[in-house]
Amino acid sequence: MKTDFSPVIGLEIHVQLNTLSKLFCPCSTDYIGTVPNTNVCPVCLGLPGTLPVLNGKVVESAVRTALAIHCRINDATRFHRKNYFYPDLPKAYQISQYDLPVGEEGYIDINTEDGSSKRIGIIRLHLEEDAGKLVHAAADGRLAGATSSYVDYNRAGVPLAEIVSAPDLSSPAEAKEYVSRLRQLVRYLGVSDGDMEKGSMRVDANISVKCSDGRWGNRTEIKNMNSLRAMERGLAYEIERQSGILEKGGTIVQETRHWNDAQGITLSSRSKEEAHDYRYFPEPDLPPLFLPDGYVEKMASTLPEMPWIRESRFIRDYSLPEKDVAVITENPDLADLFEECVSGGASPERTSNWIRTEVLRVIHERKIPVSEFPLSSSVLAELIALIDSGKVSNTAAKEVFECILQTGVTIDEALVRCEVQAGGISGSRLENIIREILQNNVPVVQTIRAGEDKKGKKGKFLMGLVMRETRGQADPREVREMLSELLGQ
Amino acid sequence: MKIMSYHNMSAASVARKIRSGEFSVSDIVRACLECIGNMDGTLNALITREDQKALQRAAFLEKAIASGEDPGPLAGVPVIVKDNMCTRDIRTTCASRILADWRPPYNSTVVEALENAGAVILGKSNMDEFAMGSSTEHSAFGPCRNPWDTERVPGGSSGGSAAAVAAGYVPLALGSDTGGSIRQPASLCGIYGLKPTYGLISRYGLIAFASSLDQIGPFTRNVEDLALALNVLAKPDHRDSTCSRKARPDYLEALETGSLSGKKVGLVKEFRNYRLPPEISASVDRILKILQEAGAIIEEVSLPVTMTSGLGAYYIIAPAEASSNLARYDGVRYGLSAEADDLLSLYLKTRKAGFGSEVKRRILTGTYVLSSGYYDAYYLTAQKVRQIITREFAEAFSRVDTLIMPTSPSPAFRIGELVDDPIQMYMMDVFTLPVNLAGLPGLSLNGGYSAEGLPLGVQMVGPKWGELEILSMAHVIERELGPAPIAPGGVTDEN
Amino acid sequence: MSISKEEVRRVSMLARLEIDENEIDSLTEHFSSILEYFNALQELDLEGIDPFVMEGVEGTPWRDDVTLQWNERSSVLSESPCSDGDFFKVPRILGEEG
Repeated sequence: MKTDFSPVIGLEIHVQLNTLSKLFCPCSTDYIGTVPNTNVCPVCLGLPGTLPVLNGKVVESAVRTALAIHCRINDATRFHRKNYFYPDLPKAYQISQYDLPVGEEGYIDINTEDGSSKRIGIIRLHLEEDAGKLVHAAADGRLAGATSSYVDYNRAGVPLAEIVSAPDLSSPAEAKEYVSRLRQLVRYLGVSDGDMEKGSMRVDANISVKCSDGRWGNRTEIKNMNSLRAMERGLAYEIERQSGILEKGGTIVQETRHWNDAQGITLSSRSKEEAHDYRYFPEPDLPPLFLPDGYVEKMASTLPEMPWIRESRFIRDYSLPEKDVAVITENPDLADLFEECVSGGASPERTSNWIRTEVLRVIHERKIPVSEFPLSSSVLAELIALIDSGKVSNTAAKEVFECILQTGVTIDEALVRCEVQAGGISGSRLENIIREILQNNVPVVQTIRAGEDKKGKKGKFLMGLVMRETRGQADPREVREMLSELLGQ
Repeated sequence: MKIMSYHNMSAASVARKIRSGEFSVSDIVRACLECIGNMDGTLNALITREDQKALQRAAFLEKAIASGEDPGPLAGVPVIVKDNMCTRDIRTTCASRILADWRPPYNSTVVEALENAGAVILGKSNMDEFAMGSSTEHSAFGPCRNPWDTERVPGGSSGGSAAAVAAGYVPLALGSDTGGSIRQPASLCGIYGLKPTYGLISRYGLIAFASSLDQIGPFTRNVEDLALALNVLAKPDHRDSTCSRKARPDYLEALETGSLSGKKVGLVKEFRNYRLPPEISASVDRILKILQEAGAIIEEVSLPVTMTSGLGAYYIIAPAEASSNLARYDGVRYGLSAEADDLLSLYLKTRKAGFGSEVKRRILTGTYVLSSGYYDAYYLTAQKVRQIITREFAEAFSRVDTLIMPTSPSPAFRIGELVDDPIQMYMMDVFTLPVNLAGLPGLSLNGGYSAEGLPLGVQMVGPKWGELEILSMAHVIERELGPAPIAPGGVTDEN
Repeated sequence: MSISKEEVRRVSMLARLEIDENEIDSLTEHFSSILEYFNALQELDLEGIDPFVMEGVEGTPWRDDVTLQWNERSSVLSESPCSDGDFFKVPRILGEEG
């Protein structure tokens, strides 16, 4: 009888907090694309005699995040030293938190594949400093075979919030949901980019497999999954690998494995026989971190509307489908834009369409954040409202939109430039257009007037010309009536 | 011919005379440098001399004074700083091969404070490597000798600074104290040495040995200079999170103390459990008598756990923190770097070549007591014992104002006598290290002499932030016994 | 209570401190002696004592989130024994950790 295997997955997520300065020194945290070893100082280089000083904004970000994931906040916490030797760790210890983290016992609810809600427990959120970056001098940039390595400490000391989940995730899809939720959350809070490719969000997994016959394999740690896709693939691979071993009656080696994206496999790391002995002890250079009276309440009051709350509200108040709402609320700035347009008079449904199509297209093409989208919400609202009221067709509005994007002019100016009549082309203007078309198509007109257009094809042809000429700005009914009249029918 | 005779001047009087124009900064600096030049070949109190820089600074200060600027409370005072305090662009070695050529790109806070107060730094003093030791024999630059008897040690780990002041090189030098490294050398050299309350003086720029125990403090030959030094150095510092933000008093107020009536002095009785030369008890009694005559009431105080278990707790906690603080010396970013084909070899070879035997012993001890399986039994236990010790002291201070006991169980011992017996060497700090564990202020003052004529220090311990208390009493004693003398092997009018 | 030579070797690797065979004996002896002092601590009554008391302690100060550019990084690189242009350079890393 075949055994069933159910995965048990827990995730450790490191979120890089986007404060201006590092966790323990005033160096800039902006390390991407910088000249190596320029955002450094004696403190983050760990020069002899230097001491750490805590960045208050990091405390704020950590507490707000912990509150958002429903953690109990510890009013008094402390830092610990995690001791190990590696070139990217300038002090040969990392200042982290051990027994008293900022937040504990939280949760996030995710949507599972069958549409129901599942609560994923969060064990803790704690603060720690990031290490520097190592570049390996080998052809493929990997450690194996590199004759030397180069160290850049720009990233050393950047603040990280580590969020450890309970092993409540049961599939790669759930893991993906969980990570997406967290990513969305940190963006809503404004505490991090949450970008896995850029490294501002890193995911390590602990995964084991339970067999239906009662056996439970050891767990392995999987590292180096640098995107959501890589994580899904990595977890799927590991589940299969472990299931395969257990099916044959083998045991899983408890170890750390690296995901190799190119080969699509996990590989055992060259680890020593013994596990790391980090010799944690309380950091003597930092007295305890005390949160002043009322601080947690104050932080709670600064929390924005949580994304899941916003989603429910959009579905309910704007009668929009869940799928569409998910796209709009993915990014808080996008959701803000939506709401501003709607309160500016645009219809929710059409705004939802425009945001999901036109706005997102521009953002992706230009590779800009939502905040840099060139049209203000009031301009966008006005444009959409024009379509709502039938004054301008969707097609024409898109032309106007493009025009404003290219030139930055006002709506009214753009309408003129695109020769779009707000309110459409009708009356005498339409009549002139029709007359001109009739003048340019004398043989067709004669055929119709002679009563030879039995199937109405010529009439449709003329109709098409008018619609094309007016670029959809004329009311088809009015065009038909006017054509009839002018053709003397 | 001697430039000028300065060695009997206190730091305070040097500053006064500079201000009044009695002599110039260059005068006194040149005089000091000359003495140092004559004597340090024998004493080896200094690792680095900065004669040129000192003279440049003297000229700079003179210009400032001439243009009417206030040069500061330590105007023109020549000082020496222990070689574990970072001095910008001046070699800072911790007496170790691993930092033998390291020049910090920044100044420690205390050095900044000294310079802002107008002092002139003449050089960096010899010490036990990374402040681990009680004799200044564990130095990559050779042992320092005691100016009272050059066959003997000056104590450690701040032996160089103590010897410099005892020999009269300078009136003020800075040391650091983790388990007694200011007080014990002060005792062996017959001068004043003060370790302040933990958190009073900034540790920024002090190369760490044991972070929860280290404190910087002054060596002087009188009490006024101790107070003056504290006024300059004891300030909040945003660069050190363990440096208290409390307001500090004016420590010179301690000099206004008249009678000690109403004051209670506790004699820590357990020191008698150690077999000590009788002169040590006699020196303690002598001090007690003076305090009594000034109106204080003497009471016996018992600190049972402190006096038996302090050593064990200290030699767990200090090496543990040291093992972590010294892990950064790996040959990559600064300091000694061995030739190596792979990273592990770089680490192993560099640290083997760079650290002396006592440092290695302590790193290994510290690593052991923190390692998996031993943390609870050793490190955690030691921290609990530390709590008990802290409570014992606090309880005592609820009944008395200061505590008295010997500083060291021995006068200056011979060079080579204890250096191969680590635990015997550790015993030299048995009376001082509990004070570090409790984070309290302590000073050593000269209480008498051994049969061989070697100085014997008496230690006075105060409650937390109680520097004024112990300075006051020290001042009362000084009124009776006079300031600390220059050692016979030190600077004289002739040399 | 004593410590084995194996233990001493394990600890020395953990500390990246190579010790020679002739040092091992004296180190093992030293440890055994000092351990007596450590083990004596176990005899004390430590029931209910919190080793890391936070009461009455001045909490760690907080810094404003302001950046400062340190302008002397070049001296650190040029003074470093192992630098290469803008980088610190280390030899081959064999195994997970150096």
